[in-house]
Amino acid sequence: MKKNILFAFTICCSLQIFAQNPIPAGKELKRVLLFGGMAHLGNGKVIETSAISLKDGKIVFVMDSRGFKPARDAYDTIIDLAGKHIYPGFIAMGTQIGLNEIELVRATNDFNETGQLNPSARAIIAYNTDSKVTPTVRTNGILTAQIAPLGGLLSGTSSVVSLDAWNWEDAAYKTDEGIWMNWPSMRIVRASWAGTEEEQQIRFEKSMKMLTQFFSDAKAYNDLGMPAIHNQHFESMKALFNGTKKLYVRVNLARDIIAAINFCKLNKVQMVLVGGEDSWRVTDILKANSISVIIMRTQALPLRDDDDVYASYKLPSVLKNAGIDFAITDDGYWKIRNLPFEAGMASGYGLSKEEALTAITLSPAKILGIDKTTGSLESGKDATLIVSTGDALDMRTNQIELAYILGKEIDLHNIQQQLYHKYMKKYGFE
Amino acid sequence: MLLDANALRPKTITFVASLDPRMKKILTLLFTVFITAHHLQAQSTIPRYGLSDERDIYYVFTHADIWQDPKTLLKNATLVIKNDKIISIGINLVIPKGAVVYDLKGKMIYPSFIDAFSTYGLPEIRKERPGNRSPQYDTRTNGAYSWNQALKPEFDASRNFNADAKKAVELRKLGFGLTLSLQDDGIARGTAVVVALGEGKENELLVKDKAAAIYSFNKGTSTQDYPASLMGSIALLRQTYCDAKWYQQSKNKNIDISLESWISNQELTQIFDVNDVWSGLRADKIAKEFNVNYVIKGSGDEYKRIDEIKKTGDAYIIPVNYPKTLDVSNPYDAIDISLAELKQWEEAPSNGSVLEKAGIKFAFTTYGLKDKKDFLKNIQKAILYGLSKEAALSALTQTPASILKISDRVGSLKPGMLACFFISNKDVFDKENIILEQWILGKRYADKEYDLTDVRGRYKLSLDTLKGWDINISGEALTPEWQLMHDSTKVKVNFDRDGQQFTLRFEVKKGAGNYRLNGVLDANDKLTIAGDGQTPDGRWIQWKAIYATVFTETKKDSLKKDTIPVIGKVWYPDMAYGNTELPQVKSVLIKNSTVWTNEKEGILTNTDVLISKGKIQQIGKNIDANTSKIAGLEIIDGTGMHLTAGIIDEHSHIAIAGDVNEGTAAITSEVRIGDVIDPEDVNIYRQLAGGVTTSHLLHGSANPIGGQTALIKLRWGKSAEAMKFEGADPFIKFALGENVKQSNWGDNFSVRYPQTRMGVEQTYIDAFTRAREYDQSIQKSLAAKDKSTTETPRRNLQMEALAEILNKKRFITCHSYQQGEINMLMHVADTFGFKVNTFTHILEGYKVADKMKAHGAGGSTFSDWWGYKYEVMEAIPYNGAIMNRMGIITAFNSDDAEMARRLNQEAAKAVKYGGVSEEEALKFVTLNPAKLLHIDKRVGSIAVGKDADIVIWNDNPLSVYAHPIKTFVDGICYYDFTNDQQKRLQNESERQRIIKAMISAKEYGAPVDKPSMKIHELQHCNNREESPY
Repeated sequence: MKKNILFAFTICCSLQIFAQNPIPAGKELKRVLLFGGMAHLGNGKVIETSAISLKDGKIVFVMDSRGFKPARDAYDTIIDLAGKHIYPGFIAMGTQIGLNEIELVRATNDFNETGQLNPSARAIIAYNTDSKVTPTVRTNGILTAQIAPLGGLLSGTSSVVSLDAWNWEDAAYKTDEGIWMNWPSMRIVRASWAGTEEEQQIRFEKSMKMLTQFFSDAKAYNDLGMPAIHNQHFESMKALFNGTKKLYVRVNLARDIIAAINFCKLNKVQMVLVGGEDSWRVTDILKANSISVIIMRTQALPLRDDDDVYASYKLPSVLKNAGIDFAITDDGYWKIRNLPFEAGMASGYGLSKEEALTAITLSPAKILGIDKTTGSLESGKDATLIVSTGDALDMRTNQIELAYILGKEIDLHNIQQQLYHKYMKKYGFE
Repeated sequence: MLLDANALRPKTITFVASLDPRMKKILTLLFTVFITAHHLQAQSTIPRYGLSDERDIYYVFTHADIWQDPKTLLKNATLVIKNDKIISIGINLVIPKGAVVYDLKGKMIYPSFIDAFSTYGLPEIRKERPGNRSPQYDTRTNGAYSWNQALKPEFDASRNFNADAKKAVELRKLGFGLTLSLQDDGIARGTAVVVALGEGKENELLVKDKAAAIYSFNKGTSTQDYPASLMGSIALLRQTYCDAKWYQQSKNKNIDISLESWISNQELTQIFDVNDVWSGLRADKIAKEFNVNYVIKGSGDEYKRIDEIKKTGDAYIIPVNYPKTLDVSNPYDAIDISLAELKQWEEAPSNGSVLEKAGIKFAFTTYGLKDKKDFLKNIQKAILYGLSKEAALSALTQTPASILKISDRVGSLKPGMLACFFISNKDVFDKENIILEQWILGKRYADKEYDLTDVRGRYKLSLDTLKGWDINISGEALTPEWQLMHDSTKVKVNFDRDGQQFTLRFEVKKGAGNYRLNGVLDANDKLTIAGDGQTPDGRWIQWKAIYATVFTETKKDSLKKDTIPVIGKVWYPDMAYGNTELPQVKSVLIKNSTVWTNEKEGILTNTDVLISKGKIQQIGKNIDANTSKIAGLEIIDGTGMHLTAGIIDEHSHIAIAGDVNEGTAAITSEVRIGDVIDPEDVNIYRQLAGGVTTSHLLHGSANPIGGQTALIKLRWGKSAEAMKFEGADPFIKFALGENVKQSNWGDNFSVRYPQTRMGVEQTYIDAFTRAREYDQSIQKSLAAKDKSTTETPRRNLQMEALAEILNKKRFITCHSYQQGEINMLMHVADTFGFKVNTFTHILEGYKVADKMKAHGAGGSTFSDWWGYKYEVMEAIPYNGAIMNRMGIITAFNSDDAEMARRLNQEAAKAVKYGGVSEEEALKFVTLNPAKLLHIDKRVGSIAVGKDADIVIWNDNPLSVYAHPIKTFVDGICYYDFTNDQQKRLQNESERQRIIKAMISAKEYGAPVDKPSMKIHELQHCNNREESPY
């Protein structure tokens, strides 16, 4: 079987069978030593020349390679990475990768269930491991993703997937770890699409009533223990109240953020702030309530004309200085391949490069509650990591040449490279 | 000052006087006028039922201070009117026999105000709420009228005018006696009528029929799709001028009632209604183009660009609907209000004063005021902000009269003119002023009867049960306050007045019960108020108050006085990050930086660049600042920095006002982005902060042939016109694929041709065939020897733009994705003998790079976008690299206000995907777009003689860690990283200063609105018709 796979793989590469995704890595777990590369651990530390040993899908050790003489027979492979950079695999949060294939083709949209209150809808079920988008994302170093639904007031339940799998069960890294909420804004806005002030006010009040009622009813249901009549919505909410699920709240304006925090406090649920474009204005209250922030984009326009031109670029460093836990991500699905650059952007504006890296590795792992097994290059953690020829947070130098997910080397090719080579050949450049 | 007691009630008097010879002459003269007036009196065809009631008598107003016109105040003067005319006006006039005389001692007479922009008396416009409807390509107006529902030049306000008693009262109370009434609906709105705000049959109220023709950019209630954008409205106006010209001279045409009306309306005053200062300038541009004059009905923000306004020479009619005070008590509410809005709130009341000082002819209108009662208050505010009373009065009387060409009849008070005036108790611009009565066309309208007897003073009260009390009446003459006084005890009297009768109620001691009295004024002799009433215990008693002491006015409390407001300076533009002064061109020597020349010299390290007079003067090592002998040379140490040419964005939608798409028709080559540049888009500044210096502003991609594009330099602070890249070749936007097929517009949009790629080709072939025929017919007509026998063809601006393409005078940038359609357009172009200059987006360019190369087209693509729709599923980030390698001029563009400010990083993706060298990659966003836009002789590289459009970076410009330190356009530093912090501080202090003023306005009782957040609608999302990519 293994041979067959290898054979198939060879054919795939040599004959250029197009529009096919690479084959997921096999079951084989090699003993690998990554030698001499500059290791960016993800926890802020750097080892200039490192030796990293992988075995059984885990990192055995991460150490300074100077003076270290590896025993040849202890490894199936020793890879010399002198002058290269090693990073934990990047973790994308709140994406619709695998849930959305072509934005404007409705048949390929599987992230927005109908209705306002859908906490039970599970993203993992819709996750398409065969999306053409996924390999293009991996090529830039993103190996793990949280997939989250959009829409309504309660959009549904998110999961964490590894971006190399045969099917969604295979892909699941942590299932049903959070519920996503769109916080209704109290701000009256003037825009062609917004409706009148009264309409907006009514919409806001109606949404708030709906949410308040829903949460108090869900809590009461939770208190029943063994309810006589099963309620699917409330069942999915139970884990929120016992603290095993988080509530990811999409909210941007300062006053709405304050309101959302208050709401979560009142309902005793653990909130993660998503978006939070105004979060720099309310750091005290974020700090006081230990709220983590998922910054949706750094490469974004400021919210208001008067805001700092570079407000979005600077947001991570402002939160950092205020002592707030945050992760950086990018919205959408195909665009998530620019995740390392979203982080790199922040380090041009006050964040150190290693802090920027943490924002897309260890920080998201912590928020997702998977930091015991992944998110940094530390012994005992999953061997999910990437090797880049240059600084991977800078598009100028990002070239990922090697990647492991759970100890297995993955194929970094994608359909776009296939098309590239196809036409390079057509024009006689290859 | 009001009159003394007893002075003023109409009395009929018989005038007998011994006349000196001089007076006789005047009398003779007066008689002449009388006779003439009599002859001019309107004859009526309206039959009268019952007895006739002609009143051939004089009304005489004596001892008044009369504002004859804004410059002339006649003190203690007399006005004589008869029927609807003024007979005489002057000092010491002889009062004719048979006159009703009003003694107006202490009062003032003004010519009636004229509102030169009003909807008074016209039916209310009801706008259909846009629902989920199918497109409507044809007009729904039945009859032989214009093809476009928004053109209604045939509308005649006089035929639709109905006097509206209620609204007339409202306006008369403000001093208005006349309005120009119009229907504010549509782009050509037909003619307006001057009407008097009187009562009676409309025949008597129309003062001037067809007094003006009205226009706007707003299509109003028209349900027809075209035009859907501001530039579409402008194009429609332009084409209609052309059509009218042709219609006038053509012998071969169908009847078009609208065009005929349009033509006959041309001789009238042309009034153009706009929404902001920029649209005022836009309207003026059209006027100059077609050699007409517009009076601009402005928007109240003219102060922002007063120099440009002055240059137009246009007269303005301006509203006084100042922005409402907002409740900024909550700091989080306040942050959502922009500095632009705050500044507008603060500065808007100064508009009148600014216009006056600039010497611009202007009139005021009540138009736009939600509550008309605010009108005089707001004029008074304008005066407080520096407008002279003379100019204010002029703007309400003489100027509107002159604009409407009726100053021989109204607007001032002269013999023979219409008797339209009002009487007020004091200066009409005084806060305490009350307009007592209006006389319109010689008829008296006292909408509230004020008894003019001034009862103020001290009275001895004679009442059995209250001995030794006085009544003191003080305060304002028309709104006095009453008090009972006994030694030091004061008791407030509640009183009401009903003509000559008074109601008094008071409680001498708290809890003692109320006296309730009725009294009547006897002013025949000494003022006495007497009557009867009931004591607190219900006993009927007699009472009397006898005038004892004259009332003396006391000085007002100084605290209540309005202080002259201190307002901030107008910034350029008048918003956050605006310049307090326009930045000036500088001479700068940047020393020792890494210079990316984009020339054969490549990347030069440790090199100096000297810029001066807006150009790059010198490049080299160790340029000596002293030898250059430039005064005021600024030296920047560029050690560790990088210097590049400014970034050029080939595909941008920033700085466009009123929609980026005229996506209604399949072909809209007549619309021009250049008509709608919005210089107040903060994204201009933000992109300077990302190193962008030139942006190609494109029409959207909603139709196969979109609109003409505009090329601007990001000269932040300058006006719309001053941003345009001088002398640049004209371009036009084309589009292919899903957007033009309306694939993602929803189920309602399935009727417009084309709906398939097949139809797109046919659309082009048809369009260019028609354009060729059009061009030939024009050429033929120009070449014709005998002009009299050949008819000049109708100038068709849509075809003209396409003919320019055929004649290689206009160039295409075409939104494109899939290879098939790219191939197709090149074939169409080849067939018609022109080249497609640029394919923009061109995501499958890599598949047809060889064909593009052969055709000679350039490619301006995204670095790495894909996945968002079906036609981009084979888009690859290597596209740029392959096209470049094939020798195609390749650029990366943004199509996105956010991405545009980091196009340098997008260029770096050409290094990442496909291994383009760094030097080449930077050209993707500098020199190559310059070439595609035919401006590479001016910009795009660092070479001596080129425009000093340069960026100094803190790091390698392709790095994610790089940001501009300074961005220069034409040698002017429009962005400076350090100065940006200053600007933010300046924004904040300006904000706080105005917020403080707003709060104090609230505390002084200004009504406040709940704040809301204005969403800056990016020109590529939200609206399916604006789908850009």
